[in-house]
Amino acid sequence: MAADDEEEDYMAMVFEDAPKQETSLQRRARTEREIQSRAHPKSKAELEQEAEAAREAGLSTAIDTSSKGFKMMAKFGFKDGDTLGKSKDARREPIRVQVKDDRSGIGLESQKKRKFRERMEKAAQEAKRTKVEEGDYRDRVRQEYKDKQDEREFRNAQKTAERLQEQQLEQAAADGKGRVKGLADIPLKQINVLWRGLVRHRREKERKQEEARVRQNRLASRLPMLGDDEEDADDKMALGRDTTVTVIDDDLDDDDPDLEAFEELPIAERLQKIVLHLQETQYYCYWCKQQYPDAAMEGCPGITEEEHD
Amino acid sequence: MAERRKDFDADADADYDNSNRSAKRVKMDSNGYSNATKNPYLAHWDDESTKSAPANSSDVLYDFERHATTAKQAAVAEDGPINPFTGKTLSSNYMKILRKRRDLPVHKQRDEFLSLYQKSQILVFVGETGSGKTTQIPQFVCYDDLPHQNGKIVACTQPRRVAAMSVAQRVAEEMDVELGEHVGYSIRFEDKTGPDTMLKYMTDGMLLREAMHDNNLTRYSTIILDEAHERTLATDILMALLKGVVQRRKDLKLIIMSATLDATKFQSYFHSAPLLAVPGRTHTVEIFYTPSPERDYVEAALRTVLQIHSTEGEGDILLFLTGEEEIEDACRKIDMEAQDQLQDGLAGPLKVYPLYGTLPPAQQQKIFSAAPPPLKPGGRPGRKCIVSTNIAETSLTIDGIVYVVDPGFSKQKVYNPRIRVESLLVSPISKASAQQRAGRAGRTRPGKCFRLYTEDAFKKELIEQTYPEILRSNLGSTVLELKKLGVEDLVHFDLMDPPAPETLMRALEELNFLACLDDEGDLTHLGRMAAEFPLDPALAVMLIASPEFYCSNEMLSLTALLSVPQVFVRPANNRQRADEMKGLFAHSDGDHLTLLNVYHAFKQPTAQENPKQWCHDHFLSYRALQQADNVRLQLKRIMERTEIELMSTPFEDKKYYENIRRALVAGFFMQVAMRSGTGKNYLTIKDDQTVLLHPSTVLGQDSEWVVYNEFVLTNKQYIRTVTAVKPEWLLDIAPGYYDLDTFKKGDIKSTLQRVLNKMNRNAAGKKK
Repeated sequence: MAADDEEEDYMAMVFEDAPKQETSLQRRARTEREIQSRAHPKSKAELEQEAEAAREAGLSTAIDTSSKGFKMMAKFGFKDGDTLGKSKDARREPIRVQVKDDRSGIGLESQKKRKFRERMEKAAQEAKRTKVEEGDYRDRVRQEYKDKQDEREFRNAQKTAERLQEQQLEQAAADGKGRVKGLADIPLKQINVLWRGLVRHRREKERKQEEARVRQNRLASRLPMLGDDEEDADDKMALGRDTTVTVIDDDLDDDDPDLEAFEELPIAERLQKIVLHLQETQYYCYWCKQQYPDAAMEGCPGITEEEHD
Repeated sequence: MAERRKDFDADADADYDNSNRSAKRVKMDSNGYSNATKNPYLAHWDDESTKSAPANSSDVLYDFERHATTAKQAAVAEDGPINPFTGKTLSSNYMKILRKRRDLPVHKQRDEFLSLYQKSQILVFVGETGSGKTTQIPQFVCYDDLPHQNGKIVACTQPRRVAAMSVAQRVAEEMDVELGEHVGYSIRFEDKTGPDTMLKYMTDGMLLREAMHDNNLTRYSTIILDEAHERTLATDILMALLKGVVQRRKDLKLIIMSATLDATKFQSYFHSAPLLAVPGRTHTVEIFYTPSPERDYVEAALRTVLQIHSTEGEGDILLFLTGEEEIEDACRKIDMEAQDQLQDGLAGPLKVYPLYGTLPPAQQQKIFSAAPPPLKPGGRPGRKCIVSTNIAETSLTIDGIVYVVDPGFSKQKVYNPRIRVESLLVSPISKASAQQRAGRAGRTRPGKCFRLYTEDAFKKELIEQTYPEILRSNLGSTVLELKKLGVEDLVHFDLMDPPAPETLMRALEELNFLACLDDEGDLTHLGRMAAEFPLDPALAVMLIASPEFYCSNEMLSLTALLSVPQVFVRPANNRQRADEMKGLFAHSDGDHLTLLNVYHAFKQPTAQENPKQWCHDHFLSYRALQQADNVRLQLKRIMERTEIELMSTPFEDKKYYENIRRALVAGFFMQVAMRSGTGKNYLTIKDDQTVLLHPSTVLGQDSEWVVYNEFVLTNKQYIRTVTAVKPEWLLDIAPGYYDLDTFKKGDIKSTLQRVLNKMNRNAAGKKK
């Protein structure tokens, strides 16, 4: 018996699953990724944004019913959606975590929201009214003229909004609150929908130019006489043959339902919204073409163009 | 090694023996003594009472029929001249205090109270601040319940340790007895009671722990839950438990005491128990709101304080802000502006004092100093202004406050089970809290409260009541305690405000991973042991497992250090020096080891020569270290009782620190983070939260993996008290939790997978 045991029973030998080793390709991909991430450390602001997003995602995801805790509770008849204890109005969800990052007093936030909502409603009504009115020819012509005018104003307002944001970023950088960050670094999706169209349009144009330039470089480098290996980076730069291809903003190819929805709004409404936005966030009156020190905006006659006549 | 261990224990053992011996002595002496005083036939044994009074006058309570006495009878007994409980002559101090006691509002309703108390098993008692309920009601009960005649005790719980101690001290004085004899107190890690104790003030947490060993709380004839409106975790659990106990023990009486009129909730919870309300001694407070919301509540608060100072009549100001930094900053600004006002002759002198929990006691005391006098007689009045967190809302009473400035915010601690974070965030207070704050203005005379929000916002934006602690806490230790108490079905446990199901779910799951509960949710052997310790389950498990890592002495010290307030002191005006001193103790592997270094240095003879000075020189909190010493001793007794071996790895051994770090993992394997990228960022395992090392962290080299004691969300997400560990240990010590199939795809999983593969390869290599 004992002797039998000692003899190896190779028929019953089990091949353990070969440990999932990383292949050389995977390893290379990984090291490359690591080098990449080391070469482009994320800015503080980006990291904070990521952390916040991860937190919000975590906070809004309920613990799965596959958890062992759930099973132990199920033993006592607990079902998904039940509450604990015997009182009827027991909590269903954990208390919400809300980060307050300014010193605004109680009630300010909701007052802002309410005012904004009221103005939005007013703007929507006005836009509707103008739509209904387009009846006879003369009105239509007038409307078309107004639309064109609004379109111009709208584009101008977009530029203003972008400029103000840029100033704000520079200010923040000067205060040491963030990395110096140009507008060009901001992904398209993070740009306010109010002037995202403007930026998108510009970036698309830039991309086309860039692609053309890259094509040009490739062609040039194929010519033997110019393909000088001794050229260093400076030379290439000097010759305008920078081989590093600017990373193309990927989100240009993405669908942007937010933007589409916004652009479907009548032009008068879009204009109203951006003017309101400027006033709410920057204390800037588009019609006065002036920024005010505080929300009171003393000296500004109102929010419509007519009030400024 | 054995030698060393012996040495290590020597001091503590001596201590232990001493206290044991002295306890025994007390018992014998006082038994003999008290028998003599209680027994009329032996009264002549007591020299003092025989000299000063007739032999049987110590039996004033003899014609008292339990649960049928009146206020009149009690008054006669209280008038003396013999103390009915000790048989000694009452002191003149007693008489002086007695007159004052009879002026208290509760005294007028003593008969009313007694008849309700006698009639009903459960009573809800509402007495506003200043009514005298905390000191008087337990004494009223003693004169009617006569616990000493039946060998029972009257318990009165308090949410705070300090309150339990100071109220017991006060009541001992009022009853003219020695603290620790007839009247005593019991708080975590400190028991000041004796065999004669008939009235015991204790923290609610202590009573809960006692219930673990005596499910029916048979020692007590009456239990008073004081400050029930504060709704601490322990009070809530006690209410649910006692609701069951009163069914089983018809001889037990229960009084719920609350300071707010919202006591109807307690009434309906306790099967519509009778309610008695006693008015407090407060004055009217006029309330002012702002016409529109404030853009910056701090700035608005400063403006309001200065305006009150220059325009309002005499009286001190109390301003509520949210945290240390905000408060210190506000104090500086108010002080500066007030100087200007004074120089311009616009106002009298103003003294500004900060008040917050972490302020050293000596500084805290300053708030009680008198307001400055006017510059010249008849000039503009001087006053003091206290800028405080919400500790001045309930826990501390400051007389002389006439003006309250309330921006409506406080920092609130909330545990979230989803990402297992403890958040400490500035949040709007509740309506109840706002009322409490306003009430602070009317302690001495009619006052004014300035609310820095609109009346509309008060009505619409503030919640009714502050969330009770049970909704804001990690329930790990509570679940363990309840299981130990024999509560099987936690799902239907009848709490007044049941928490969100996910909180219980998480607690059960974590206890299961800690092997304190089995898959059925039943207590394991380890769980039963862990419940013996008044600690977080992770700490308890770590301590119990520590002998396996040959470092239970060290883990014992560490656990004690983690159970007391911050040992490092970092005064605002001397931060650099404080940091340098901390550097002396720094251990490059992390904060836990740094803490141990501090403790070991503290116990060195050189430090013990003059420990207070030594702590002061090294920017350490003497109080905290002393407390840690005490906690260590208490925990050591539990370890000895539960036969957990105490041992150390020799300090010369190169595994000394590694063993400690491994033992940490045994308890804290669920609180681990991996470094992401190259910066200071870490990612918590399983929940994938990006966290930063807290600035106070000592961590020499960049470590890929760390265990942390806390994950807190303040303005950023921080992990605090951090020590470097190796991923191999995690996989080795907690394979159940580190089952890689349960991990989400990502960096953490792939890194762990690589480590695991390597471990398997090595193991296979060794086999060959």
